[in-house]
Amino acid sequence: MLPMNWHRALLLFLWITPHVLLVVVAAAVCKRRLYREFPCFFAYVLCRIAVFILLFTLYTVYGVTGRQYAYAFSATLLLIIALGFGVIDEVSRDLFRKSPFLKVAAKRLLRCVAGLLLVMGVLLAVHAPGSNSVRWHAGISVINRGAAMVQCGLLLALLLLARFLGLTWRRITFGITLGLGTLASVDVAASALRAEFTSAAAMELLNLLTTGIYLVCVSIWTGYLFAPELEPAASPTIGSPDEMETWNTELQNLLKH
Amino acid sequence: MEHGAAELAQALIAAWTLVAVAFFALGILVYVAIRGRARAVDLERAVNDFRSLDIAAFRNLVDPAEEAFLRDNLSPRTFRAIKRQRMWAALIYAWEAGRAATALAKVGQAAQRSLEPEVAASGVQVTENAFRLRWQTVRVGLHLLTEVLLPDLSSRSLPSLADQYERAAETLFRLGRFPSGVRKLVRSKSA
Repeated sequence: MLPMNWHRALLLFLWITPHVLLVVVAAAVCKRRLYREFPCFFAYVLCRIAVFILLFTLYTVYGVTGRQYAYAFSATLLLIIALGFGVIDEVSRDLFRKSPFLKVAAKRLLRCVAGLLLVMGVLLAVHAPGSNSVRWHAGISVINRGAAMVQCGLLLALLLLARFLGLTWRRITFGITLGLGTLASVDVAASALRAEFTSAAAMELLNLLTTGIYLVCVSIWTGYLFAPELEPAASPTIGSPDEMETWNTELQNLLKH
Repeated sequence: MEHGAAELAQALIAAWTLVAVAFFALGILVYVAIRGRARAVDLERAVNDFRSLDIAAFRNLVDPAEEAFLRDNLSPRTFRAIKRQRMWAALIYAWEAGRAATALAKVGQAAQRSLEPEVAASGVQVTENAFRLRWQTVRVGLHLLTEVLLPDLSSRSLPSLADQYERAAETLFRLGRFPSGVRKLVRSKSA
């Protein structure tokens, strides 16, 4: 009986702790007034906390059936997926905010990537691994996997594009991207494995893995939220205004053609 | 029975492919997080890389008249082989120019964080122009790659790119005359 209790205790710990940390994240977002810049991320965090309270209550209240719990879980999952896309949009807007050129060009490129990923997501849904059951929760699982794949692809595209262009991330934006990207990539793997390995032991192991990774992601958000932003660079290391102006003028000349 | 086994194998392959894709994505995330923490931008190296681009050679590589001459005087097979090599060389030029633009974008962004308003304002403009230049090199690179793959297509002229390189070379020539700053390593901390 002892290992069973330990498993349950560990699962509860991994379920509760990230949401306690999310309360800290929400408080920090409020204190730093980041909800003005990242309203979707703030809503996403609040939604995650509210969903936890709802599901935890359903889990502990006597008389709630597994089916009722599953309905609540599925409904809230769709809300979280929608908010996740909002967060990605917010992150991309923040990343390109200082460049009017990238606001247009990179957005167009990301739209193409999103379209491509969407097609892949639909194809994945059609040829989904696992049983071809028409039950609603199987459908929700396929939607979750497709959405996780699209989100993961979009976040990777953002990271690679930023690296390619030499864009500098703000710490908070990078933290949100890193956390959400990790969560999405693990979701893709876990949902694919869940569809194939349906034994109780495999499910327990996957639940532990996903909740553990969720804790890691929330820790990433917390860490980056409290990390100080980059300090202003001392001008002597950058060069004099004359030098910068020379670069600027010459680059403008380059682009006139 | 056989049909069922094939279906199962297909599903397993799909599942493990997704797992592999997810781990690949996770690997990239971890790599970017670790590598992106603190990076030094070597401006001098970027300048030297830019200077090493021989604009006359590049202009020759993308010159339509030169291409027409080769087409008329070489056998089709030899022409294709030569053109592939020429376009590949031009592609490397574009790639190097793009890399220099990325380094410049980082310098510009570091400048934007300067406490001196003039430097910060210049940094904004340098960054914006560097992004445009990088984007332009991607477009040109794709164009050249198409010509590498399909050498029989008659190439359009790329004079604007040649001019861009020429101007870049001039820029670097001028920058070389600045005694301070340019030769310093510009340190830019990213996320």
